[in-house]
Amino acid sequence: MDALPGLKEDCEELLGAFQQADTVRFERFAELWRERRFHTIFYGRIRALERNKITKKTLDVAQQYFFPPYSFQIRVGALYLLYGLYNAQLCQPKQKIRIALKQWPEIQKFQLDLLDAQHYDAVYIFRRLRLARAFHFTAMPKLLTYRTKKKIEKNDFREEFKDPSNRVNSLITNDVLEELMNIHDHYQKMKCVISADKSQPDKALSLIKDDFVVNLKDITLEHQEWQQNRMKLLRNAKVASETEDKKKEETLLKSEGSERANALARIKYKSYSAVVEVSRSRRHRQVQLESSESGPSCGKSPGRSKKGSRTPQPARRGEVQVAEETVTQHIGMPIIIEEDSDE
Amino acid sequence: MAAVVPDYELAELYTRAFRVGALGLGWRRLLGPPDLSLAAEAENEEEEDAAVAAALGCAPGTAAELRAVCSIDMLMSSEKEEDPDVIPEDSSLRTLRIRKKALERREETIIVDRACRQETLTYEMESHATGKRPDDPTDLIEEGELLLTLNIFYPVIFQKHKDHKPYQTVLVLGSQKLTELRDSISCVSDLQIGGEFSSQPDQAPEHISKDLYKSAFFYFEGIFYNDKRYPECRDLSRTIIEWSESHDRGYENLQSVRMEDYVFNDLSLKIGFPYLYCHQGNCEHIIIITDIRLIHHDDCLDRNLYPLLVKKHWLCTRKCFVCKMYTARWVTNRDSLAPEDPCFFCDVCFRMLHYDAEGNKLGEFLAYPYVDPGIFN
Repeated sequence: MDALPGLKEDCEELLGAFQQADTVRFERFAELWRERRFHTIFYGRIRALERNKITKKTLDVAQQYFFPPYSFQIRVGALYLLYGLYNAQLCQPKQKIRIALKQWPEIQKFQLDLLDAQHYDAVYIFRRLRLARAFHFTAMPKLLTYRTKKKIEKNDFREEFKDPSNRVNSLITNDVLEELMNIHDHYQKMKCVISADKSQPDKALSLIKDDFVVNLKDITLEHQEWQQNRMKLLRNAKVASETEDKKKEETLLKSEGSERANALARIKYKSYSAVVEVSRSRRHRQVQLESSESGPSCGKSPGRSKKGSRTPQPARRGEVQVAEETVTQHIGMPIIIEEDSDE
Repeated sequence: MAAVVPDYELAELYTRAFRVGALGLGWRRLLGPPDLSLAAEAENEEEEDAAVAAALGCAPGTAAELRAVCSIDMLMSSEKEEDPDVIPEDSSLRTLRIRKKALERREETIIVDRACRQETLTYEMESHATGKRPDDPTDLIEEGELLLTLNIFYPVIFQKHKDHKPYQTVLVLGSQKLTELRDSISCVSDLQIGGEFSSQPDQAPEHISKDLYKSAFFYFEGIFYNDKRYPECRDLSRTIIEWSESHDRGYENLQSVRMEDYVFNDLSLKIGFPYLYCHQGNCEHIIIITDIRLIHHDDCLDRNLYPLLVKKHWLCTRKCFVCKMYTARWVTNRDSLAPEDPCFFCDVCFRMLHYDAEGNKLGEFLAYPYVDPGIFN
């Protein structure tokens, strides 16, 4: 992102707004685009060589949002964004959008999903791009130049854009549950066969809970619901920043959040924010407090500062950021209650 | 040739090896004629609503609606005259705010802000061949042709290049032979003239190294592709192969084949992985394939222009020590008449200093013809 500061923020802001609008209609996207006058993003006195480079970079950034693991809505937004950027660019001939071979099946599947859901505007727009031959069909999405020394850009995408990670669901699928059910039945039958009473297994043989498969399914469903609620709360927490609701939701999230993580963070900040004041003779080697979170107000204080005055501020900033951080990273899991059934 | 999908072997750095031609096959299988077509751009191709309706499986009325709603005008400015050079005052876009600040800073500090000649050269090289079509239709590139982008690094001559090696970028077609690429690589070592000529400056031989030492090879994925077109060409890779076979060094099965028998589509390559081009016995260039893609109607479509040089490094030429104007053509060592060793002269100054009116050699020195690496500027 060194090449184009601010671009990622602008794209994410637009896509975020589109996600908030909770629709996949192009009309809505076009409204948001026009509000921000996004077509001016290529303006400014840029000479041809630089303009080519910037346009390529812009399309590259937008292209990334078009593929998994981003959620469906973000991907549709990315498609519209690509359409807009491709047509708004000032390069002649136009810079193209790169698509790698491994990404094409994902696109095909996406098209089918769109058609099934009758989102004709998205399908139409992709069709227009394709007919305009706006794509370069490549082997890999980016140019690979073996730049080991250059810092490889960390692609930290926003949590809200991602589809909630379906690890639990991908592990415990319907097939797996069915399989478990079958095995369970078979196991019960075997137990009956070797027992004295052929209609039910011996008391001594009951080593597992009989209805564990059903329980497993319920727990999985509960987890999924919990995840969706969490995503909704997260999104609402971000938006309603000036309203009362935010406080309520944040406290809700915080209470869900791990108390331990909060306590840990508090301790950490107490210990690190205590900067020892050195004697006057060593004043030039005064340790300055640096907050470890990345935030807009962070960064080395310029120049040699006065000893005590800096320290309270980072601590305060740090605490606010701690709250936000724990909200996004340490939200606790719902507690699974152990049933004591008697068997 | 089975189709293949390239993917990273080392994330974000280079891919696994794959047959180049198979990539072309893979893409052509998935795409339709309109995607692959190289016809020149038609102005404002509006589809019939019926065609759209058929493709999407919706009603023709919907298709008409789509055409209106999804038109690009919905995203463009409604104002008639908007100057792309002017950044709007109250933009909400961070990109523009940052750019505006940078522009204002530049206006305060720079007196003149226009393209320097290096920038002009770079831009011209990048774009001069765009969209060129040949006069002879047999020279037109076929649809579905693959285009490879190669970075060919200069051999390290200057110490300052040790960390950031300068390179040339060449575009080459999948159906082109390796020998065509070899012939297109211009390296200064090819033009060197060997030999000491202080006693007979007028008789520098006509043969440059390129004509004397014709051997060369490419090394891709364990196979040495040797140039065997001329009888003088030797197998330079034989030494390496013998070395690797002499002990168990962990290199398996290095092979040696003829360069002229292969086209790029036949090769197995990794994208982003460094390979080697060696000529003149010891002049080595690293080659990295940075991209492979299908040809597009906006690319240069004249086959004769490939391999196409799109980027090269500007090397400052060394000027004559005396006049500081002309490029050096001679270098002297152990020269009693020169202030430094080695010392560079252009042809005129060299003769004026070192030879009298009759052409007799004055003073003691060794003189060699010199070819400056910047000669290809």
